Amino acid sequence: MLILQVLSLEAAHGYGIAQRLQQISREAVHVNQGSLYPALHRLEQKRWLKSAWRRSETGREAKFYELTQAGRKQLARERADWERLTEAVELIFNEGA
Amino acid sequence: MPGFLNLLRRRRDRLEHDLDRELRYHVERRIRDLIESGLSEPEARREANLEFGGLPQVQEAVREEWISRWLDALLRDVHYAMRSLSKSWGFALAAGGVLALAIGASVAIFSVVSTVLLQPLPYPGAERIVSIETLFTNTGQSSQMASGPDFLDWQARNDVFEKMAAYYGGDDWPAVVGGRAMFANYRFVSADFFEVFGQTAFAGRLLTGQDVPPAGAGPTAAVVAYPWAVTHFGSADAAIGKTLGREGSPAVIVGVAAPGFRYPGAADFWLPFNPEPPPQASAAQIEAGRANYIYQVAGKLKPGIPFTRAEAQMRAIGDNLAREHAENRVKSVTLVPLQDRLTGSVRMTLWALLGAVGVLWLIACANIANLLLARATGRTHEIALRAALGAGRGRVARQLLTESCVLAGAAGLAGLLLASMLMQGIVALSPGNLPRIADVRMDATVLLFAFALSLASTLLFGLAPALHASRLNLSDALKGSGSKLTAPAAGARLRAGLVVAEVALSVILLVTAGLLVRSLLALQHVDLGFTKDRVLVAYTEYAVENEAEIPARIRFYADVLDRLRAAPGVSAAAGAAYIGMGLEPRTPRDYWVEGRPEGRAGERLQAEFHAVTEDYFKTLEIPLLAGRDFARTDTQGSPQVVIINESLARAAFPGESPIGKRLRTGTSLRAPWMEIIGVVGDARWQDPSQPAQQVIFAASNQGFGNSPSILARTSLDEASLVTTIRRLLNDANPTVPVKFKTMEELFDDTLAYPRFRTQVIGLFASVATVLAAVGIFSVLAFLVGQRTRELAIRRALGAQAADVIRFIVGQGLRLVAIGFVLGLAGALAVARLLTGLLYEIGPWDAVTYLGTIAVLGSAALLATLLPAIRATTITPTVVLRQE
Repeated sequence: MLILQVLSLEAAHGYGIAQRLQQISREAVHVNQGSLYPALHRLEQKRWLKSAWRRSETGREAKFYELTQAGRKQLARERADWERLTEAVELIFNEGA
Repeated sequence: MPGFLNLLRRRRDRLEHDLDRELRYHVERRIRDLIESGLSEPEARREANLEFGGLPQVQEAVREEWISRWLDALLRDVHYAMRSLSKSWGFALAAGGVLALAIGASVAIFSVVSTVLLQPLPYPGAERIVSIETLFTNTGQSSQMASGPDFLDWQARNDVFEKMAAYYGGDDWPAVVGGRAMFANYRFVSADFFEVFGQTAFAGRLLTGQDVPPAGAGPTAAVVAYPWAVTHFGSADAAIGKTLGREGSPAVIVGVAAPGFRYPGAADFWLPFNPEPPPQASAAQIEAGRANYIYQVAGKLKPGIPFTRAEAQMRAIGDNLAREHAENRVKSVTLVPLQDRLTGSVRMTLWALLGAVGVLWLIACANIANLLLARATGRTHEIALRAALGAGRGRVARQLLTESCVLAGAAGLAGLLLASMLMQGIVALSPGNLPRIADVRMDATVLLFAFALSLASTLLFGLAPALHASRLNLSDALKGSGSKLTAPAAGARLRAGLVVAEVALSVILLVTAGLLVRSLLALQHVDLGFTKDRVLVAYTEYAVENEAEIPARIRFYADVLDRLRAAPGVSAAAGAAYIGMGLEPRTPRDYWVEGRPEGRAGERLQAEFHAVTEDYFKTLEIPLLAGRDFARTDTQGSPQVVIINESLARAAFPGESPIGKRLRTGTSLRAPWMEIIGVVGDARWQDPSQPAQQVIFAASNQGFGNSPSILARTSLDEASLVTTIRRLLNDANPTVPVKFKTMEELFDDTLAYPRFRTQVIGLFASVATVLAAVGIFSVLAFLVGQRTRELAIRRALGAQAADVIRFIVGQGLRLVAIGFVLGLAGALAVARLLTGLLYEIGPWDAVTYLGTIAVLGSAALLATLLPAIRATTITPTVVLRQE
């Protein structure tokens, strides 16, 4: 979901996604950078991402990922789920308070 | 298939390459960033790799994603396919059954073809073994037989063969083992015979140069076949040292061949012989021996020598011999791979069967494609729904293909089971002398073939519905589900095309079967020139060692025949040294007419030479056209006499009476002149499809020929004579072995191949007709189902039942007619290929074509009428109210 979110802003290559994840989460999420790639390929096979080789900002060819229509829907769905879950959790916490 | 694998491989390589590039980019970018942030290069590299977690591990993890995703989809597809097939199990059973039948039949025929034609002969270096044959350059015909002097020259002058051997022999010769007489299959072989075939002994040793007797002398050593050793001596080891043959010239068994080795034919034992001329032979006699064709020759090429080079060299040797020897004037040498030689006569039959079963399989596939297509159309709504829910076109197509795959896989397995049963049937039905038929079994090649066939089936009948589904227009399909006014055009056209193909292919099979049936009938009713029914043949052998014993043999048979003629129910009896029915034609001999020029080799008249007793023509009811029959007064002491057949009379004595003229055969130096005393009608001895050759009959009683077989004509059942003859022979000489066959049985054997292929192809053609009819029926039934509303409206608007029938039948017959036109065109092309298998029936035989049209036409009419009649039961009010 985090990957989808990062890519919903703009297309990026793997390294870029890793950097953004770290930036956005303010270093709170520090995953093993390699494990990003199986996830990317899984999302691509589910047709939520599509990829293309493009020139990167350093001038070399890099594989850029971007969201597909299905990916956008999935993100919306997951966000809605997440919001429902956090709302529910919040409600429970508030109830208890 | 390899193209497909290549495609997969290239796709995988591409994926791997991209992944590598992608990951490297990441790591290198990280290193650069780390260096920019102040680390040294080695440190940065270490840090980046640490963070990344190892390139190979990540690659592996990504690969696992690829595979698990793919497997997951596959499993789901298979699961879904099984569920949807089991929901309509009637359909699955019908389609699977048809396919299993087609695959089973194809696999069974293929396993026969594979064993008989494709598998190399079971000898080491079998691909290098060739048959070396005499080529007659004046006629272009080749003969397997070679003369002794020619063989010796071929052997001495070539440098392309590792080893070369000559051999000859016959089946059912008498052998005496432990004082008991029996028939056995003898083979005389020259020194290197076993080396040509790369054989080693099972027990004892095989024949070598040291066993070869001096020229002109008889053998003293023998090698026996494994089964013969076990039957007669209990075990291979027990056979060693035993003797074979008559007292006075026994051959000692020195070895037993490996269990599978019986070459040539079904040899029981092998005896050495010396092809060299005897030392006392004159040059003229040796020269004359070049026209005496008695040996078959096989050789093993040296490794690495191409067949064409060996052929060129042997041809050159043959051409040189033709210049050196007058007798070789029109002769040369030709090579034939031994496997081709052994399977030559059945090749055509087997390929025809494989072709026929292939056509049957195509028809089955077309049929199933039709069923699947009808099903896919029925499921349009379901598929459209799935597509609307987000399934991609490729995904839906793949799902339908998986369904076909599951179906074909199951049918393939069932087909294999069926094939093993059919194989036994084919083996039982096949002619007894079909080479290697006993070795037919399922092996890796056959399994591979079955697998490929299932796969090909899937593609053939699975693609149609898959393509159809992937072309589906979503909104149309969903909207159209309510109103079934017209059928979707594309699907209908495809189905119609499949029916046309089925009809066309069935026409081809039916025409083929029809032509074969008509030829078989023609063969069965050929005028043989003799009457074959109610004649019993008793094969006997009175073994003689030398010419001094021949009078005793003549007396023995004269005595037995006299007693037989006196037996009740016997109207005539005679002896004949050669019963040709079903055998290869005899090699004709040159003959000379007294008072005419000698002639040169290749330009002389030639005739077959048969030795018979008196009453032979009476027994077989062959008409005596002129002169007289042999008589008891024609003895070894009296002048030699012959009877000729009509063909010979016509060829050698046009416009004059041959009676009283004299001729001679064989080597012109020794043979006496023989007076022609009679002319008889032509008869077809060996093969009813071959016209009669010129024949000279000589009198057994004058010492010609081997032991005669006894022929007896009876007014009773042939079987009733068996005991009579057995008793007569036993009384006269208990050591003479005897075997019985009726002339009818012998004749039937000659038709074994035509009958075999006619039965099998006829069976295929009937199945094809049924399948085609079912195909037509299912398409029209489906059409009626689809157009219920349209038909209801027509009825409501006043169409009569007859109009509806005419409409539906018209639809069906239009397809059938197109199929007929295409099929007849195809059949004409196929029939041309079949001419070699036909007898007296041309490939354009009108009766066959009309018969095919009648059979298939009435099946098609029935198949169209049933749905048409159902269509008339549509009641407009009921159907239209359903909306």
